[in-house]
Amino acid sequence: MADDSQRNFRSVYYEKVGFRGVEEKKSLEILLKDDRLDIEKLCTFSQRFPLPSMYRILVWKVLLGIIPPHHESHALVMKYRKEQYWDIHHALRVIRFINDSTPQVDVFLRMHQLESGKLPRNVAFPLEPEDEVFLAIAKAMEEMVEDPIECYWLVSCFVNQLNSKHKDSLQQLPKILEQYLNIEDNRLLMHLKACAAMSKLPYDLWFKKCFAGCLPESSLQRVWDKVISGSCKILVFVAVEILLTFKMKIIALNSAEKITQFLENIPQDNTDAIVSKAVDLWRTHCGTPAHSV
Amino acid sequence: MAQQGNVGELLPMLDSPILGVLEDITAAFKDNLICDRGPMLVNNLVDYYLETNSQQALHILSTLQEPHDKHLLDKINDYMGKAATRLPTLSLLGHVIRRQPSWKHKLSQAPLLLSLLKCLKTDTDVVVLTTGVLVLITMLPMIPQSGKQYLHDFFGIFGRLSAWCLQNPGHVAEIYLVHLHASVYSLFHRLYGMYPCNFVSFLRSHYSMKENLETFEEVVKPMMEHVRIHPELVTGSKDHELDPRRWKRLETHDVVIECAKISLDPAEASYEDGYYSVSRKLCTSLKHHQTDPSASSYIDTQSSYGTSTPYSTPRLTLSQMPGQLPQILSPQSTRLSTEPQQVTIWSPSAVCGMTTPPTSPGVVPSESSQSASQPYSKAFGTSAGGKGTPLGTPATSPPPPCTSDDFVHVSLPSAAATPPKKEDKPDSGRPLLYRQQNVINSDKSLDIPSSKSSVTLSDLPEFLGGLSFEDSAEKDREEDAISKEISEITTDAEHMVPRGGFDSPFYRTNESLSGSQKKTHSAASSVQGHSQTSEPLTSLDKPGPEGARETPKQTFTPIDKPCGGPGESPAGNREGTSGEPSILTPSPCKVPAQRRVVFGSGQPPLYEHLFEVALPKTAYLFVGKKTEELLKKAKGTQDEDCMSSTSPVEVLDRLIQQGADAHTKELNKLSLPSKSADWTHFGGSPPSDEIHTLRNQLLLLHNQLLYERFKRQQHALRNRRLLRKVIKATALEEHNAAMKDQLKLQEKEIQALKLSLQKEQARYHQFQEEHDNIVAQLHSQIRQLQHDREEFYNQSQELQTKLEDCRNMIADLRLELKKANNKVCHTELLLSQVSQKLSNSESVQQQMEFLNRQLLVLGEVNELYLEQLQHKHTDTTKEVEMLHAAFRKELEKAKSCVQQQSQKLDASQKRIAELESQLAKKDHLFLEQKKYLEDVKIQARGQLQAVESRYKAQKRITQAFELEILDLFGRLEKSSLLKKLEDDKTEAAEAAEERLDCGNEDTAGHSEETMGRNGETKPPSTRGSSSSKGGSSSELSTPEKPQNQRLSSRWDTSVLLEPSSTVPLTVGSLPSSKSFLGMKARELFRNKSESQCDEEGVTINRLSDALKTELCKDPSMESKAPPSPDNLSPKLQESSVGQLHIMDYNETHHDHS
Repeated sequence: MADDSQRNFRSVYYEKVGFRGVEEKKSLEILLKDDRLDIEKLCTFSQRFPLPSMYRILVWKVLLGIIPPHHESHALVMKYRKEQYWDIHHALRVIRFINDSTPQVDVFLRMHQLESGKLPRNVAFPLEPEDEVFLAIAKAMEEMVEDPIECYWLVSCFVNQLNSKHKDSLQQLPKILEQYLNIEDNRLLMHLKACAAMSKLPYDLWFKKCFAGCLPESSLQRVWDKVISGSCKILVFVAVEILLTFKMKIIALNSAEKITQFLENIPQDNTDAIVSKAVDLWRTHCGTPAHSV
Repeated sequence: MAQQGNVGELLPMLDSPILGVLEDITAAFKDNLICDRGPMLVNNLVDYYLETNSQQALHILSTLQEPHDKHLLDKINDYMGKAATRLPTLSLLGHVIRRQPSWKHKLSQAPLLLSLLKCLKTDTDVVVLTTGVLVLITMLPMIPQSGKQYLHDFFGIFGRLSAWCLQNPGHVAEIYLVHLHASVYSLFHRLYGMYPCNFVSFLRSHYSMKENLETFEEVVKPMMEHVRIHPELVTGSKDHELDPRRWKRLETHDVVIECAKISLDPAEASYEDGYYSVSRKLCTSLKHHQTDPSASSYIDTQSSYGTSTPYSTPRLTLSQMPGQLPQILSPQSTRLSTEPQQVTIWSPSAVCGMTTPPTSPGVVPSESSQSASQPYSKAFGTSAGGKGTPLGTPATSPPPPCTSDDFVHVSLPSAAATPPKKEDKPDSGRPLLYRQQNVINSDKSLDIPSSKSSVTLSDLPEFLGGLSFEDSAEKDREEDAISKEISEITTDAEHMVPRGGFDSPFYRTNESLSGSQKKTHSAASSVQGHSQTSEPLTSLDKPGPEGARETPKQTFTPIDKPCGGPGESPAGNREGTSGEPSILTPSPCKVPAQRRVVFGSGQPPLYEHLFEVALPKTAYLFVGKKTEELLKKAKGTQDEDCMSSTSPVEVLDRLIQQGADAHTKELNKLSLPSKSADWTHFGGSPPSDEIHTLRNQLLLLHNQLLYERFKRQQHALRNRRLLRKVIKATALEEHNAAMKDQLKLQEKEIQALKLSLQKEQARYHQFQEEHDNIVAQLHSQIRQLQHDREEFYNQSQELQTKLEDCRNMIADLRLELKKANNKVCHTELLLSQVSQKLSNSESVQQQMEFLNRQLLVLGEVNELYLEQLQHKHTDTTKEVEMLHAAFRKELEKAKSCVQQQSQKLDASQKRIAELESQLAKKDHLFLEQKKYLEDVKIQARGQLQAVESRYKAQKRITQAFELEILDLFGRLEKSSLLKKLEDDKTEAAEAAEERLDCGNEDTAGHSEETMGRNGETKPPSTRGSSSSKGGSSSELSTPEKPQNQRLSSRWDTSVLLEPSSTVPLTVGSLPSSKSFLGMKARELFRNKSESQCDEEGVTINRLSDALKTELCKDPSMESKAPPSPDNLSPKLQESSVGQLHIMDYNETHHDHS
């Protein structure tokens, strides 16, 4: 907050009146100007505000540890990353796991498998469920990021973070979902329970794939902002909001299979609103992060 | 049933001549009808009526109540079917319907209507047809909306009968056709009046056919000349006029009047509301701009010249006194002229009217007859005196309904009969005299009220009373005239009969009137004039006050209803009794009734002679000339007019008149009193045909008469209503006038109030002015006073300032006084001090003198001692001086030394501070450096992490590669093994040894590792790991061989061993990656070996070596498997030596460092 003088003195009023994000870009720029980026602050910022799309990739990379907090070493580290990418790529080519016609997502998957030492003996080896998750996330990420190298690193680190950092909390999410749904709309929960659909909700899609493939990329980015910055609870609220938004349709459906099928293919037209509401809901239930940017 | 039978037996007694029995029986019948609901009695009554034509039965039947109507209608319907009873049945029906029973609306549903229509459509008997049509015409306005379903039947009947009139298919007597024509004409009016659109469309469709064209031209077209365009034709539609809503608002008489309104035929027409004829409007407008504009006079003129007078009277006068005519055209002047007369004439009579007590009825005729010969003024007086009679006897006379109809009936023929006798024109002799008398009389009576009518509303009540008297007076005057004429008849009857064939002079006068009218007008208009003039008079006899409404009087006295009705009724009664028989036998005894007609027709021009008196001579001459010219012209056109349009009614009238004339002529010729004798006298019994014809004619006449009566009744109803409206209107007018008066009063009051207001305002202004003056005065006073006050104030201020000054002065003076006192005290004190000092100084001077003496003594002693001292101490002073100087110098030196020391101290202190600051700086720097270092460390760690991840990736890659390679080798091995087994089975033992060697691989590996490490550690310079590896591997086999060779040999073997597989590619890529990896690894290991202890380094080295050996071992092992057992022992030795070496090296190394 040393740069308070540089900030617009009206920023306080903007927030009071309800304009969010007027000064966010500026404050983020200020944050990014620091040498040796403060990752804590970046985390808090990304939790509190939606990231401007022009800085999103940079912030993600920093948060996921793809690039170090020092600006000086960015170029070097990126060079390393690039070389590593091409090394693995080359190796995979050599051992004929990939060729020119292999889809980018598969390439990423193989690379990730190779890196994590889980490369199967044969290309034809059947995919594990976690590979499916990786593929879904990679597919979504591929839409968001143009550069394949960056994309690979983001996907890989994101999946690693999910598997390492959030592994325990991800398993708690269905329970939390039930809890919040009970608070928000008891009737819907009753209906879902009556249909025995509670256990059959697409938890894999929602929590393991982090809605990749469920929400369009523009909305997904905003959810992932929060996930990457360390809060996987947002996933619960997105799920709750989806259920609330399509409450009427869900109530109209009676069987768990139909509900699951519907939820796996929700209409893509209103997802921005859903995410906005979900973020609001998340704020109300979990409160804004205590420390300020 | 017994009762029933009894009643049936009573039937014949209905016509009993005994009055009491009659009443009893009728009462019995009525009771029976109330009790009994069966059809028996009604049927019996109908039968009885048809048999005997009993009036009593008819009366009972026509007053039948609700439950019996059905039986009656059924019965009538039954009889209607039979041709024989059709005619009486129809007449019965006519009687019943004309009564307007309460159940008349049921007629439309009754089958009777259908059978009546059928009869009208099919019957060929003219009498029946005429009667039926009349009944139908009577019925139509009663059932306007329900009759619509038979509309086309009505039209069809009209079409048939109109054609009948022309073609006469039954070849009946012409005389009947006249009747039929008249009734068809009525039907035409009714249909056109009620359903104009439908009827017109029917006419259009019906007469567009060629065969009907003639009928149209001959019959219908003349009829159409007598109707105006119906407004409904413009605004209505076919459906609208059949709409029940239209008819709901209208009662029967409304419908009748509606129909009459659209008629132009004066016999049929009625002028109401907006339907005034053009001619009338013309005349009123003409008069209007001659009269003074005030409303009252306008009403007067219009009312006095009524409907018929303006045109008929002038022409009338022409024949007798043409000079008087113009006076009518200038009614204002006439009225002006008559009014003065009026006053002179009327004043006594009015007084009389108020004062004279009512006289007995018996006296009146005698009085009037006496007064008839007297001059008019007197006659008037008497008439006024006789007015009491009608007033006294209203209750005793029941109103006879038939009489008025009779009069109309009679009077019409008398008027209609005139036209043929044109020779009457010149005869203005005696009859004129009488007429003139009448004229005078009635003129007076006309003018009196007219003058009265201008009476203001304020004295309206009195006027009303007067009018009621006047009405009765009028009546009596008429009575007088009648009696007068009766006396005339007695004297002049012989003269008149041969001349004009008239049975009374009244006919002649009447004729002369109508004749003269006809000269100027069409025949129709003459009839109109006649009927209109006569009708009012006949209607005088009607019970209701409306009868009077139509008369000229009515216009004068708009509010005469309270007494008018009763006043007139007795006259009607009297007339009625005499008129009743005259219907059946047209004989001289009709005269009294006809007299009225004459009187009536003579009435309008009655005041003509007054004009003569009133007008200046010149005007009179001029107007006379003008009218003469007009008359001439009119004469020329008269005949054509007469031909052009005569309504069927008029034709009928004429026919009847003619018939009456003929009849009277015949009768007069006869000396014999009895009629039956007449016929026998002339030629035996009259032909039965003739009798039949006459009877039928009579019947038809009766029917016509009844129809006219019905119409009259409807008019009467209407009149009653109109009267009510008039009453209301006048009441409102009165109210308005009262309001106006009030308004005026209030205005006056307002003006008075305004005046007083003005006065008050003026006064107020005056007061205000005075007040202003006073205020101004007071103001000026105040100003003056204020001025004074200010002056005084100023003075007082001046004085106060002076006072202040004085006070100040006093204070100053006081201060000065104090100062002076002080000074005095001070000086006194000083004085005492000075005196003391003075004493002191004196004592001191004494001491001084003493001391000075002592000082002188002591000085001398001192000088003595000084001289002694100077002589004794000269050497010691020099030494002291020297010592002083030495000490001084030493002191100075010490001082400078101290100064130096202190300076040094300062410098050193400064130095210390400097150093301390430097130290702090350094510390700070150090911290910064630390921070920086930390930073750098983090940075490096970041980079390192990236590198590590890279390294891990590389490891993974290499693992993957190894896996791949192993896989491939595995495959190769299998294939080569198979080959070998095939090639040399003898070398099986060697293969077994080989396997043994493989078992010893571990130990060999150990040795190799140690060797490798040695190679590496010994030369820490630029030698690559590859070379060391190479060395280690070569040492296994032949350490003497050069590196290249070994390498090539290895390569050769590998190439030799794997000729078919694709491995060479991957193997080929191996060295580059390996070298890269090696470099990296070396860097790593070197760092670690340098920083960490040896054992760690050994383990790492082992690892790396194991990797390397693994990579390169297999091919070399295979190739060098045979010689290896020989070299085992030395290798082990070498390794032990190497280990020792290592120890040594380490030791030496330690020494070095």
